Amino acid sequence: MKKKVLSMLLASAMALSMVACGQSNGGAATTETPAATETPAATETQAETPAEPAGSSELTDGKFADTRSITVEIYDRGNDGGSDPENNMYTEYIKKGMLEEHNVEVTFKKVPRWTETEDINNLLAAQEAPDICVTYSYPTVLTYADMGGVIDLKDLVEEYKADTPNLWAWLEDTNMLWDKDPKTGSLWAIEGRRAEQQRIVTFVRQDWLDALNMKAPTTTQEFEDMLVAFRDNADTLLGKDASKMVPFSTSYDIGWRASNIITSFMDPQITDKEYYINGFDDRMVTEPQTKEAVKLLNKWYNDGLMWKDFALYGSGDTTEDDMIKAGYVGAFQHNWDYVFRNGEDSINANLKRNVGEDAKFVAVDCFKNSAGKYAKWLYSTAGDRKLFFPTTNDEPLASLLYLDFISKPETIKYLQAGDEGVTHEVLESGAIQIKAAEGDAIQNSGKNIDYTITCNGTYFGDWDLANLSIAYGYAEADPELVDAANKISLADGLAPINVNVGVIEAEAGVGDTLSSKRDQIYDNAVVAAPADFDSTWDSYMSDYLSSGGQAIMDERAAKWAEYFGDADMLP
Amino acid sequence: MSKPAQTQSKQKFGVYMKKYWQLYAMLFLPLLYLLIFKYVPMVYVQIAFKKYSLMGSIWTQPLAKNHGFEYFIKAFQNNDFRYALKNTLTLNLLDLIFGFPAPIIFALILNELCFVRYKKVVQTIAYMPHFLSWVIIYSLALQLLAPNAGLVNMVIQNLGGEAIPFLNDEAHWVGSYIGFGIWQNFGWGSIVYLAAIAGINPELYEAASVDGAGRFRKIWHITLPGIKPTIVVLLIMSLGNILGGGFDRPFAFQNNLVMRVADVIATFVYRVGIKGLQFSLTTAVGLFQSVVGVFFLLMANWISRKLGERGIW
Repeated sequence: MKKKVLSMLLASAMALSMVACGQSNGGAATTETPAATETPAATETQAETPAEPAGSSELTDGKFADTRSITVEIYDRGNDGGSDPENNMYTEYIKKGMLEEHNVEVTFKKVPRWTETEDINNLLAAQEAPDICVTYSYPTVLTYADMGGVIDLKDLVEEYKADTPNLWAWLEDTNMLWDKDPKTGSLWAIEGRRAEQQRIVTFVRQDWLDALNMKAPTTTQEFEDMLVAFRDNADTLLGKDASKMVPFSTSYDIGWRASNIITSFMDPQITDKEYYINGFDDRMVTEPQTKEAVKLLNKWYNDGLMWKDFALYGSGDTTEDDMIKAGYVGAFQHNWDYVFRNGEDSINANLKRNVGEDAKFVAVDCFKNSAGKYAKWLYSTAGDRKLFFPTTNDEPLASLLYLDFISKPETIKYLQAGDEGVTHEVLESGAIQIKAAEGDAIQNSGKNIDYTITCNGTYFGDWDLANLSIAYGYAEADPELVDAANKISLADGLAPINVNVGVIEAEAGVGDTLSSKRDQIYDNAVVAAPADFDSTWDSYMSDYLSSGGQAIMDERAAKWAEYFGDADMLP
Repeated sequence: MSKPAQTQSKQKFGVYMKKYWQLYAMLFLPLLYLLIFKYVPMVYVQIAFKKYSLMGSIWTQPLAKNHGFEYFIKAFQNNDFRYALKNTLTLNLLDLIFGFPAPIIFALILNELCFVRYKKVVQTIAYMPHFLSWVIIYSLALQLLAPNAGLVNMVIQNLGGEAIPFLNDEAHWVGSYIGFGIWQNFGWGSIVYLAAIAGINPELYEAASVDGAGRFRKIWHITLPGIKPTIVVLLIMSLGNILGGGFDRPFAFQNNLVMRVADVIATFVYRVGIKGLQFSLTTAVGLFQSVVGVFFLLMANWISRKLGERGIW
């Protein structure tokens, strides 16, 4: 009998818990189910629910009557000896400013930088995402928008335009409305602005060139000869560490880390249409000429000119950096300022300490395309961080005010430059020289971009000051080297185009699969035996195409035809 | 007649409970754990049959196309899933063939050692890798086996040989993967067998010695039959897991050069489901995996009972 009672009890407990689970979801469903199925309907309900009926009148002098609170995503880079991303000099500045100017309490919520997409996914799924989310991945935003998990900003940004003058002034229509759907008009994310458009350059060891009496390479052939010279003179250059010599280093992400080489093979007459169709990501793997570029890398690899272990280390791994800092690497391609980043822990500062006073990387330009130009892609003003509000955000105005606050010239200046004497000095010319900071004042990301989510790159709230200061933006770095790298990174630069033809359905949910497949094409082709190069490339490429790559290109082609007809170039 | 009988059994039960209630109280937590983490989630298996969205209740979400089987069809049309399925089977089978006998052999060898202190030391050292996470083991593997900077390959190269692509060639990678799997687990796995061996009646050995049996005879005719039930139960459990397997081991060991042999169902589900947000597709895959697992389990159990062993139920 008692047994029966017990089992009844257990059964009812189980049933109860199920009902409870069902109900907690069911409650949410009543308001949000339409969002999941029908987008246009969703936009209206969403725009209405969060905004108080009074609209912008709830602010007096830009301030809420009662204190509101919002949470903001912040990247955690896990730097050795960095500052606490949720609590440092810069977060204090923002918190204080927001409270004083808008009566909004800000809490930061950290998300690991190298797994940001996964982490944001989890937070969104758990309905615990920060009110202001930031990601580099637009497909992630779209997927959530599809499920009804993202607020449509279409009406909100217009409604509160008067309350957010700094935001509009800084991002302008271009970035504010960059992602606006041409048909439905919905706006799922705001694009942060790149203040710097420089992208990737090639670095070589100046002291090695000097030791071998060589000049900086100016053509692809000269670059290859230089790599051969590095390899053959490993004993001279590295002594007892000769076996550790790596003439040219790269990572698993060949499309990024050999970008200048790949771009130099690209047809200089590439049409906007072709660029767009192959432009699912910026690694250009489906461009017809990319295969030739990788063939060159394959030759280098098999000639012992490249790092053998490159494919074994994943994103965020520091093995390659450590190798570069220890002085074993002769050349590599990366972000234009890569060797200057991180002050005392920068690559050049490490080389100086570990190898010698002359040891340093300098930027060179040597990959000419068939038109004789050192073509390389620049960034567009957008395409950087995407800022979006999940539907769990019930303070859209306060969140927009946050974006407005961090887009103010003086905020950007403070976040980038910090306090005079602590994080920077003002030079005679008026330029801002960044210096190494300590403790709370340490910027975990270059130019503090993790906090200036609407701005990536030197701005200091003033273009003249920014241009004057760009060479002085790196503590411990030689301004001349920075200036040279800056100039090279812009030389013959190609500005990307923005083709806005709305959502490409085929792109939803396949981003990670395809970028992983893309890297597999590159990596396997580079390490293939020369005789197997073609078959390896083709086999991995067909895998990429059949896993969704082809569908994306077809849909892009169709959309292009729908909007621009037979034209090859944007109107 | 029923009433007195009932009161009697009631009384009996009361006495019984009074005596043993602590044991049941202790059982309560594990049961609760099973209920919350193993049974309640089963309700969400229906995600596999629905056009799932994170927002809103699953009870009200619409059925997927093809009578709810859209995602099963999609999965089997997906190249990556087919690779993952094949790889999961291959790697788990190899694990079974090479990994399953290892702890048995180790237990037998250990059992024959007569220096107790030495035996204890060996045993402890053999357990240790079990407590290392796969991420750590992979770092060790990289330090040892990377083509350029790995210790082993440095030695080989300094002796004038060619570096062996332990981790960056498909065939070699499978070998390394299985090898590290055995290394991590054989010590820990042997505990159960050692316990089973300890339970064998020593008189049997004495009798065998009197009859003139040597060491190998005794192993063959006494020790092995003595632990046969244990072996069978563990084998059945391993077979039930033939399509399962952990996530961290393949995930830690994967790299772009070996993905065609290294991508297994668990990592496929992570990449496509969690990262790519295709929850219905990957729930369908997970359900398929479990159903096949149950099938193998039942089959192994049935065979073992046919062969006159106990089985697991």
